[in-house]
Amino acid sequence: MGLITEKLPLYLDPVPGSSWFLGKLDEVINWSRANSLWPLTFGTSCCAIEVMMAAGASRHDVARFGAEVARPSPRQADLLVVAGTIVKRMAPRLRTLYEQMAEPRYVIATGSCVISGGPFIYHSYSTLRGLDGVVPVDVYVPGCPPRPEAYFYGILTLQKLIKEGETVRRPGERRKPVLAALPAGMTVDQIQEEMRSLLVTEKNSGDRRNG
Amino acid sequence: MDNEKLLAALKTLEPQISVRENADRLAVTVPCERLGAFMSKLKLENALRFDILYAHTAIDWVAENRFELIYILSSLEHGHSLMVCVSIPRDAPVAPSVSSIWRIAEWQEREVYDMFGVLYRDHPDLRRLLLEDDWQGFPLRKDYKDDFMLEKPQ
Ligand code: SF4
Repeated sequence: MGLITEKLPLYLDPVPGSSWFLGKLDEVINWSRANSLWPLTFGTSCCAIEVMMAAGASRHDVARFGAEVARPSPRQADLLVVAGTIVKRMAPRLRTLYEQMAEPRYVIATGSCVISGGPFIYHSYSTLRGLDGVVPVDVYVPGCPPRPEAYFYGILTLQKLIKEGETVRRPGERRKPVLAALPAGMTVDQIQEEMRSLLVTEKNSGDRRNG
Repeated sequence: MDNEKLLAALKTLEPQISVRENADRLAVTVPCERLGAFMSKLKLENALRFDILYAHTAIDWVAENRFELIYILSSLEHGHSLMVCVSIPRDAPVAPSVSSIWRIAEWQEREVYDMFGVLYRDHPDLRRLLLEDDWQGFPLRKDYKDDFMLEKPQ
């Protein structure tokens, strides 16, 4: 990557049409990054059951979004999923894990506990009120716990963020964190319908690239 | 043994016990000075054989100025279970350790010490278990406050 991101723009910039080429290169890199997010699962309490176990199991099947290869090692992961209450003593360990991950790395914070402290915001002597003081967060997924659909929505939001990035010219640039909330009043059928259509467009654009 | 028989057997063992209401199983209250002897009898008596200490915790009755220590016992051999409760004064929270009877009590008592500040007599290693070693105060006491804690706005 170092060669492409550091040297290539320098050599190519004087060439006419190079920004088109770099744009295409961005697209390919981002496409592959967005569709092979390997999560490091950091589940400390109840959210982990919904977000990691239920989302990974066959009914919801996170493999459809290319994020099923859960790694217990930070060296092989590029997405840190923090699911569960983070207490003061846990925070330094979480920071260590984050720093051990290789760039590019992304963080999804699921559940109200990591967003604000959730049910433990008052009268708690140990629960951190928000993860953002420990590691930079890219996507917040609200809920207590979020349903697997909401987590998928978070993954899709992150994929969108990654695809918007200028990987070659500005590697490692962090985007503003977003709150990936499902719109209120949505039914399960609508969610499934939307996912189906997303998958179809994904498939079509993939085909176009391949063909 | 069913609850009535169990209670009768306990009464012969230790006449000073009383039944505690509001419990999900048979629960008895013992005076603190009788606790050690009572507990070792519970484990050793052939008809009772409470060989597991499932859980040990405390309740902070701050208005009554006392801690209530709760021991949940169970017998694998006979399949019965029992809750033993002891009240100790809040300003001098000292209780006998049962870690010589059930080894697991060593950690359970460390946790109760950590959270409530109950001191156990004859405990081999009474240190904090979950919190940092330099933590000030005992966070599960009802009157605990620190700078980190947020008060709920009215
Ligand atoms: S947000 Fe709710 S479900 Fe998730 S870890 Fe916190 S309490 Fe548990």
